[in-house]
Amino acid sequence: MIQQIIAGLIIIFFLIKLLKQWRKKTISFNEFIFWLLFWILALLIIVFIKQIDKIVISLGFSSSAINLAFYIAVLFLFYLIFKMRLKIVKIEKNITDLARKISLKE
Amino acid sequence: MKIACVIPAYNEEKKISQTIEQVKDLVDLIVVVDDNSQDETREILNEMTEKKLKKIYHPINLGQGAALQTGNEYCLKQNFDIIIHFDADGQFLANDIKRMIKPILEEDYDLVIGSRFMGIESNIPKFKKKIIMPMAKIFNNLFFGIKTSDPQNGFRVMTQKTVSKIKIENDRMAHCTEILAKAFKYKLKIKEIPIEVIYHEFGQKFSGGLKIIKDLFLKKISG
Repeated sequence: MIQQIIAGLIIIFFLIKLLKQWRKKTISFNEFIFWLLFWILALLIIVFIKQIDKIVISLGFSSSAINLAFYIAVLFLFYLIFKMRLKIVKIEKNITDLARKISLKE
Repeated sequence: MKIACVIPAYNEEKKISQTIEQVKDLVDLIVVVDDNSQDETREILNEMTEKKLKKIYHPINLGQGAALQTGNEYCLKQNFDIIIHFDADGQFLANDIKRMIKPILEEDYDLVIGSRFMGIESNIPKFKKKIIMPMAKIFNNLFFGIKTSDPQNGFRVMTQKTVSKIKIENDRMAHCTEILAKAFKYKLKIKEIPIEVIYHEFGQKFSGGLKIIKDLFLKKISG
């Protein structure tokens, strides 16, 4: 129960942070919706962890719901890092093209 | 035949003027691309009044591959027929340029690359010669089908057609493998020429080799 409360508080903290970012307009609408759904989903998992546990067991998984949530979270993080790397490569390419154009114009 | 020599330079204050001096009589234009050097390279270049010298300055440091591509693009715009890549640090001998150009002029080759492993002895550091280079050779062959005696040589001569076909996309040190990989992929006529390389320092380390692999991998998956 205490673990659930701590996890819930952490998620609420991130939700407040997200709302602040949205108010300051530092993130786009799509990004806001994505992270809002992500944290709400995480909150729902934490609140209904026992019910999800039962579903997970009935589906034939041997691990508990919290373990499964961690596995999914790790996979999700890997995916995010991969996407970020690709984005950085693209940004680097744009910077190179821009710097080259400037140097050839001089 | 108009011949240009592209020399990428990053922090080369000690050798740049000497290298330009040695190359200038062998080509029609020297294109030095200063990759935002932090030493006196830019000031030295600014003071030079050599007519055959074109100076290009990158506003930020981009890497050797990017500097070569900048030089290539300038040469293509100026319609040069033959483009040479030459190091600024005095590793290569300017006298080898004539031998390197010959196969393009007389035998219709598309790309001529220098090789440190074809008979002419260079003072290559042992670890590099015995460990790094054989490993790089296996890597090049396995992943890119490159079959050259020297897996990483920066001294190359290309025709205009070759330069317009091979766009260097790896900004840092992976460009050597990239150029060879593309040359083999496009089935260009490639010749290796033995050259001497004078080592003033160790150069590319083992960690640098790993970074090259990482860069090539990232480039491949990012398309």
